[in-house]
Amino acid sequence: MKQIIAIIRNERVEETKTVLEKTGILGVTFLYVTGRGRQNGSANAQERGEVLNRNFRMQLTRAERARGPSESGKELSAGALPTEKESGSGFLPKRMLVIIAHDADVEPIVQAIIDANQTGRYGDGRIFICPMITAIRVRNREQGDKALC
Amino acid sequence: MKMIWVVIRPEHAQRVIAALDHAGIGGMTRLKVTGHGREAGITFGSVNSTEIPKEMLMIVIPDNDVAKAVKIIRAEAKTGTKNMHDEGTIGNGKIFITYVEDSFAIRTAGKTGGKLKE
Repeated sequence: MKQIIAIIRNERVEETKTVLEKTGILGVTFLYVTGRGRQNGSANAQERGEVLNRNFRMQLTRAERARGPSESGKELSAGALPTEKESGSGFLPKRMLVIIAHDADVEPIVQAIIDANQTGRYGDGRIFICPMITAIRVRNREQGDKALC
Repeated sequence: MKMIWVVIRPEHAQRVIAALDHAGIGGMTRLKVTGHGREAGITFGSVNSTEIPKEMLMIVIPDNDVAKAVKIIRAEAKTGTKNMHDEGTIGNGKIFITYVEDSFAIRTAGKTGGKLKE
């Protein structure tokens, strides 16, 4: 059993879903994340506008308000290290995709994710494959490979 | 190659990221999460809150960078002094380390195999 974690572009989510469905993978978890690679989030302006879709911006501001910006601001100014703005490290909105799959399904899934997401530009994302010990279905306590499908 | 999941106080996130940046660890993913530890949340008067906002970082790095990364994260995510031997306070967070068996860069996959360096 393997855990596949992929970081992909927001605008490719629907395409990825379609391709995975064709491969026969229906159990997928999507998470809203922000991230950056070796380029430190230095995308060009057009790309940045593309990825900052309205929904996600709303989510961000809501979370920021709930946390109380005044307190976090105080913490930052006290630190000796440069703030995020100064070091130019922008985090771009991305989608994280988590799939738990049988060992034999890993290769087709990886290929499907690559097919749906490859544009050749920086920021296409990464795929990580980690070992997973077991899975338990909450509904009826099925364990191991049986719990997956 | 190892995957590090870090749960930290949201107000310490930027400090941790800046410090990792200085050490040359640039690529990472951020998640906004909520959770609580063994203390089962915080109690304000008669109200108990078990959903404390935290920031989660996911970093994948080569094996020999792990010790350095953990040291930096500990020093920056801890409340109080940056001395490694000083204890912080409850709620400073956790660091989890797991294996990564294989990894691909989507952009170059197919042409060069897309495998990341160990």
